[in-house]
Amino acid sequence: MDTQITNKNPQMRYKQRKEEKPLMATGLSYNKSKALRDRLYALIFLGPSLLVLIVFVFFPMFRTLYLSFFLTNNLGKPTVFIGFANYISLLSSSAYLHSLQATFIYVIAVSCLTLTLGLLLAQTASQKVRGISFFRTIFSGTMGVSVSVAAIFWLFIFNPSVGMLDQLANLLHLPAINWLTQPGWAMTAVVISTVWMNLGFTFLIFFGAIQSVPSTLYEAAQIEGVSKIYQFFHITLPMISPTLFFVSIITLIESFKSFGLIDLMTAGGPDNATNLLVYRIYQDAFLSGNYGLASTESVILALIIAFFTFIQFKVLEKRVNY
Amino acid sequence: MKKINSYNSRPLLFLFLICIVLLTTLTGCSSAKADSKIQITFWHEMTGPAQVQLEKFVNEFNKSQNKYTVVPQFEGNYNEAVQKILNTHGTSASPAVFQSMDISTSQIYNSGYTTPVQKFINADNYNVNKISAVARAFYSKNGQQLSMPFNTSQPVLYYNASLLKKYDITPPPVDPSYSDISRVAQQLYARSDKKVKGLSVEIYGWLFEQFLANSGESLANNDDGHSGTPTAVNFSGTTAMTTMKWIQENIKSGAFMNYGSGSNAPTNEMAGFLSGKLGMFLQSSADISQLTAGTEDKLGITYYPHPDGQKSNGVSIGGASLWISNDKSRKVQRGSWEFIKYLMRSQNQAAWQAATGYLALNKDSQKEAVLQKLYQKNPAARIPSQQLARTVPNNTNSGIFMQGLIQERTLTQTAMEQIYDGKNIKSSLQDAEKQMNSYVKSLNQANK
Repeated sequence: MDTQITNKNPQMRYKQRKEEKPLMATGLSYNKSKALRDRLYALIFLGPSLLVLIVFVFFPMFRTLYLSFFLTNNLGKPTVFIGFANYISLLSSSAYLHSLQATFIYVIAVSCLTLTLGLLLAQTASQKVRGISFFRTIFSGTMGVSVSVAAIFWLFIFNPSVGMLDQLANLLHLPAINWLTQPGWAMTAVVISTVWMNLGFTFLIFFGAIQSVPSTLYEAAQIEGVSKIYQFFHITLPMISPTLFFVSIITLIESFKSFGLIDLMTAGGPDNATNLLVYRIYQDAFLSGNYGLASTESVILALIIAFFTFIQFKVLEKRVNY
Repeated sequence: MKKINSYNSRPLLFLFLICIVLLTTLTGCSSAKADSKIQITFWHEMTGPAQVQLEKFVNEFNKSQNKYTVVPQFEGNYNEAVQKILNTHGTSASPAVFQSMDISTSQIYNSGYTTPVQKFINADNYNVNKISAVARAFYSKNGQQLSMPFNTSQPVLYYNASLLKKYDITPPPVDPSYSDISRVAQQLYARSDKKVKGLSVEIYGWLFEQFLANSGESLANNDDGHSGTPTAVNFSGTTAMTTMKWIQENIKSGAFMNYGSGSNAPTNEMAGFLSGKLGMFLQSSADISQLTAGTEDKLGITYYPHPDGQKSNGVSIGGASLWISNDKSRKVQRGSWEFIKYLMRSQNQAAWQAATGYLALNKDSQKEAVLQKLYQKNPAARIPSQQLARTVPNNTNSGIFMQGLIQERTLTQTAMEQIYDGKNIKSSLQDAEKQMNSYVKSLNQANK
C-alpha cells in the first residue's frame, strides 16, 4: 500500500525531501518508505558480514551448546540425549578439576609475570640513554618468533640429556632437574616459555603508552623534587592505565586460550600437570573423537572467560583514567 | 561528492577484476592437469625416511602401469588423521585408500566406511599366507581381512653393546626377563659411576599394552574384543602390577631415566641413547635405521622382556594398515587394491624394511639381496623379524579390537606418569581403570 503511493508520486517525494517536512499528511507514507529503504540498505551492507558471522560464529556456538547435551558416536554424530550428564560428570571428575586448578595457576602466573616484566622493560627502555634503541629492538624481538620456533628453542634448553640448563647445573654441581617430566617443574617451564613469548607484544604496547605521557608532567614533578619511583606510581601508572587495562584483559584471555606451547612442549603431561582447559578440549575432540564432552568443556571455558572479563570491566575499569 | 566516489571505486573495481582473472586461470590450470588415468588419492601419515621411501613407491607404481595415478597426501599425525578420514567421508575430498594406525582399527571398521580387502583377496585368489600371520591377525575380524597391514613394527629392547663392553657387562639374553634387564641396568649405572643411566621405558600406552600381551593377559574383556565388544578393561591385573613394580624399583635405585610422555619423549630418549648417557630402552623396531645411522657404537637388540618365571607369549605389532574407502567407484577401489598389492610385493617390502626399519611382511622378502646385505652389516637387525616370525597369534597378542583406545592410552599414560613420580601403583592403575570403564560404558551407549 505505502509503496504504491510513493510510486505514484515521485515528484512529491522529491519535493518533500527538499522541504524536509516529513510529518506532513503525505509525509507518513514517505517516512515509512524511508525506513524501509534504510532497512534495505542496512541489509545490503551488513548482510554479508552477518552471513559470515552466522556461518562461522553463531552456528558453531549454538551447535556446541547443542552437542554438549549429547553423547556422540565414533563418527562424531550426537546419538544419545543425556541432558546435563556431561556437565555433571565433568564437574565431579577429579581430572577435570585438576585441569581447572592448573589452568588458574597458569593464567594467574602468566598474566602477573607478563604484565610486571613488560612494564619493567618498557619503563627501562624509556630512559634516554645512549644505545637504548638497540635494547628496544631486542625487547620487542619475541613478537617475531613463532610458537613452533619458540618451543624448539625452549625444548633445547630444557632437554634432560643434552639441555643447556642441565649442563649448567652439572657445572655448578647442582642436582639436575627434569624440567618437563616432573609435574611442578613442567608447569614452571611452560610458564617461563609463555611469558617469554608474550613479552615482546606487552613491552611494545606499554612502551608506546609511556612515550605518549606528556613530558611536562615529569618536568613539573622534577621541579617539585619528586623521586623517580614516586613519578612512576603517580604519573606514569595513572596515565597509562587505559593501556594497562587493555593489556591485562588481552593477556588474561590469551593465556586461557594457550595451546601451541603446551602441545609442543609437554602435550598436557606429566600427570596432567599442564593439561589446561583448551588442551583438554583438543584432546577430547580431535584425538578421542568425543565431541559431546569436548563441547561441554568449551561451554564451561567460554563461561569462565566471560566471567573474568566481566569482573575486569567492573572492578578494574573504575581505576582507569580515560 | 560524486567525483570522490568514482575515484575510490576505480582501484577496487580493478582489484576485483584481477581476482576474477586469477581465479579463472587457477581453475583452468587444475582442470587442464587432469588426464585420462584414474586418480587415486592416498592419505598417509609417514614422515622422515619412511615418507621418502613411500613416495618413491608411489612414483614407481605410477610408472609401472598406465591405468592409475596414485596421488599421495601427507595428513599429519596418526591421531588427527583418523578424525579427518571419518569427517571427510562421502565428500570429494576423501581419500580412496588411506593409512590408519593400529589402534583405530575397530573405529574405522565400525564406521562402515570401508570395503574389506578380503573382497579383493578372494576375487584375485591372492595368496595371503605370504603375509605375516601376526600382522594380519591384528587387522582382521572373524577371519575376514579388513585392511592390509603395512608399516609394521615390533617393540624391542635396544642396548648399547659398545658401552656394555666398555664396562665389562654381559649383555642381556635374546629373550630377557625383567630381572635380566634390571641386572644390566644396575651394573651399568654403578660401574659408570652413575654417569650412565641403565634403562628407560617411555611413558607410552603402546608399551603398556605390550607388557600385557607378552605375558598373555587381556587388556579388555571378551578376549581383547576379538569375541565381542569389550565392556570393561583390565589395567591393574597381575602383569601390570608386576611390571610397574619392576619399573618403580629401577627408578628408586637411580638406574632408570624418565623421559616423560608425548612427542618429545622418544626424541629425547634417542638423543640420550646416542650420546651414551642411556644404556637400554624399549622402543619400536622402526627406530633401527635412525639408531644405526646416528652412532659409531654397536647396537644390540633383544626381544621384548617378559615377567620372571614365565614364557613370553609374544608381542603384538604396532604401526598402521591400508584401508580402501567405499565411497569411491569400483574402478577406483580396484586401483587402490592394485596399489596395495604393489606395496606388498616381496622386493618392495624388503626395500621398505631396509630404508625404514619397519618390518618386511612378505615372507619371501627375507631372501631379497637388500635385506641379506642389511643383516650382514648388522646382525642384530634380524632380531625384530625373528620375534615377529616366532610369535603364534592368539587373542592376547593380536591387538585389542576396541573403540576408544586413544583414551585408553591417555589414561594408562597418566597412570604411568603417576607411578614414575613415585605414587602408589595399585591406586594409580585402578583410578585409570575406573575412568576407562565409565568411558567405555558411554562409548558403547553412544555407538549402539
